[in-house]
Amino acid sequence: MRPTARPRAFRGVAALSRPLFALLTAAAGLPGCATAPDEPRAAVRGEAGVPERDRVLHACRAAATALRTGDYSGAKARLDDALARLGGLIVDDAAAARARSLFAAEDTKVFVGEPYERVMVYYYRGILYWRDGEPDNARACFRSGQFNDAGAQDERFSSDYVLLEYLEGLATAKLQGDGADALARARVLAGERFRLPDYAPGANVLIFAEYGYGPRKVAAGRFGEQLRFQIQDPPSRSARLVLHEGRTVVPLPAYDDLGFQATTRGGRVMDHILGRKAVFKAATNAAADVALAGSVIAADQSHRRELRGKEGGGSESAAVGLGVLGILGKVVSSATRAEADTRQWDNLPQRLSFAALRLPPGEHSGRLEFLDREGRALAARTRPVSLSVAPGDRDTVLFFSELSR
Amino acid sequence: MSLPFRSGPPFLLAAALLGGCATSEGVRNPSGVPVTEMRPDERGFVAGTGIEAQDMVAVTDRMARSILGIPQISRAATPPSVVLEPVVNNTRFPVNKDIFLTRLRTQLNSKASGRVSFLDRDLMKTLQRERELKRSGQVTASADPNVVEFGGADYFLTGKLDGMSTRTAAGTSDYVLYSFRLTDARTSRIVWEDSAEIKKQGLEDAAYR
Repeated sequence: MRPTARPRAFRGVAALSRPLFALLTAAAGLPGCATAPDEPRAAVRGEAGVPERDRVLHACRAAATALRTGDYSGAKARLDDALARLGGLIVDDAAAARARSLFAAEDTKVFVGEPYERVMVYYYRGILYWRDGEPDNARACFRSGQFNDAGAQDERFSSDYVLLEYLEGLATAKLQGDGADALARARVLAGERFRLPDYAPGANVLIFAEYGYGPRKVAAGRFGEQLRFQIQDPPSRSARLVLHEGRTVVPLPAYDDLGFQATTRGGRVMDHILGRKAVFKAATNAAADVALAGSVIAADQSHRRELRGKEGGGSESAAVGLGVLGILGKVVSSATRAEADTRQWDNLPQRLSFAALRLPPGEHSGRLEFLDREGRALAARTRPVSLSVAPGDRDTVLFFSELSR
Repeated sequence: MSLPFRSGPPFLLAAALLGGCATSEGVRNPSGVPVTEMRPDERGFVAGTGIEAQDMVAVTDRMARSILGIPQISRAATPPSVVLEPVVNNTRFPVNKDIFLTRLRTQLNSKASGRVSFLDRDLMKTLQRERELKRSGQVTASADPNVVEFGGADYFLTGKLDGMSTRTAAGTSDYVLYSFRLTDARTSRIVWEDSAEIKKQGLEDAAYR
C-alpha cells in the first residue's frame, strides 16, 4: 500500500534529501568526467603502448638502461625520440591547459621532466654524438643541457653544471677552436671544490662515469601540492679507473651532483598554480564545513520550533540552502586536484664524472673502483673493465655507470 | 518499494550531467590531427626555437641562388669542380649537418644546368678500391685504369652554423647565423660568402615553466 502520509520529522529529512540526493548522484558521476575519452597511447620501442603523455619518460628510462648495457643505437633512438619532444616549445596545448585547471592533476600534462632530467637527456645524447665522431653536435647537446638549466630562481644556480661547461670547451678545442672561455667558466663554477684539469689536445680516450642514485621526487604539503626532492647519500663518493696493473690511475671525481641541481632550482611557475589550487581546495572545504554546520543548526532550530507547534520561520529553507551549498563545496573541494607531478626518471645517477687521457690504440684492461667518503675503494662495487682504443683520429668514448639498469 | 520522494527530477538532472560528460566537448582535436602534407618551407604546427626544416630549405635556396650569380661559376669556361666539406655546427642544436650540403648540392645541380660539377669525396674509398680491382685485372675496365682520372677540386664549399641563445622568465630566444663560403682550392681565397640569419622566440605554457 502506498503511504499517504509521513511522520513530520521524516518529511523534513525527505525535504532535505531531494536536492542532496540529486547532488550526490551528480557528484558520483562527475569524477568520471575528469578525463578525456581514450587517452592516446604511444608505441615506444620495447614497451607495449605507454600513454602518450608518458612517452618521453619511458624513452628516457629505456635510454639510460640501453646506454648501461652497451646498446648504443637503442639509446640513441630513444634519446632522439625524447629530444623530438623536448626540443620544441609546448604552447597552446590542451593537456597543459588541463594540468593548470582546478579539476585535473599536474600529471595529466605531457612529461618533459624537470630541468635536471632534461639536462641528462642532452648529456647522454652528447656522449653518443661524440662517440660517433661528431664533437660539434656533442657540443650542441652540452650547450642545450646547460641552457635547460637556465632561469633558476637564484641566478647563482642557473646553468651551473661544471661538466657541461668543461665539455663544451673541450669539444671546441678538439674542433681547433678556442675552448679557454668555457674552461674558465667551468673553473668558476667548480670554485674551490676541485681543480679542473687543462685540456689535453692529444687525449684520445674520453671516459664518462656516473655513480650514486639520483634524486627522488615526492609530493609534500597538505594536498601534495609541493614538489620536493629526496636526496640519498650513497656510499660511492668518487671513482677511479686503474689500468695496466696499477701503473695508470685515472681519477674520476664527481664534477656534478644531480641532487644538488634538483634542489637549487627554486620554485616553478607551476608551483604557484598548484599553490593556488591548494588554497582553493582548502577554502572550499572550510566553507563547505561552515555551510553544513549551519545547515544542521538551522534544521535543528526548525525541528525544535515544529515540536513547539510553531512554524519553521524560514529555518527549514535555510537548512536546505546551506546543506546544498555545503555539499556543493565538498564536491568541488574533493574534485580539485592540487597534487604535484611526481613522475620521474627513476634510473638516473647522482654524480657525474669525466676524464680524458691518451692511450695507445689496442686493448687495455684494469678495474673501475668506486670510493667512499674517505677515499677507500668499495670492494663490493669494484668491477673489471676492458677497453679497446681505436686507431685513427676519432676519440674513443667510454661510458661507465655504477647503476646496472 | 518506492523512494520517499519522487525520483524523476534528480535522476533526470544526473542523467543530463552525465550525458554532457560523455562527449569530448571542450577538448581540442580529441581524435588528433590527420597527417597534413606541407611545403617544406612552411612553418608547421609543431615548432620550437631551433633549426627546423623550413629554415634549412629557405637558407639552402638562398645560398644556391647566390652561388650561381658569382662570375667564377656563371662565366667559367669549363664547369668548375666543387668539393663539399662538412658544415660545422656551433649552435646549441644538434642537427643532421649533411642535410644542408645535400640540399645545397641538389639545388645547385638542378638549377645550374651543368655550370658546376661536384666531386664525390664521400665515395673516395670505394672508388679507390674499384680502381685497384681494375688495375689488378680482377674486374673489367672500359678505360686505362692506370691513368689518374679522379678530379681535383677547384673550389671547396662549406658552411658554419653559429648560434646565440637566451632564456629568461619572459621566454626563450634563439638566433642562428647560417654562413657558407666558397674557397678557391689553388689560392685559398674566399671567392664567395653569404649568410642568412633567423631569430625565433617563444614562451612555453606555464605548466612547463
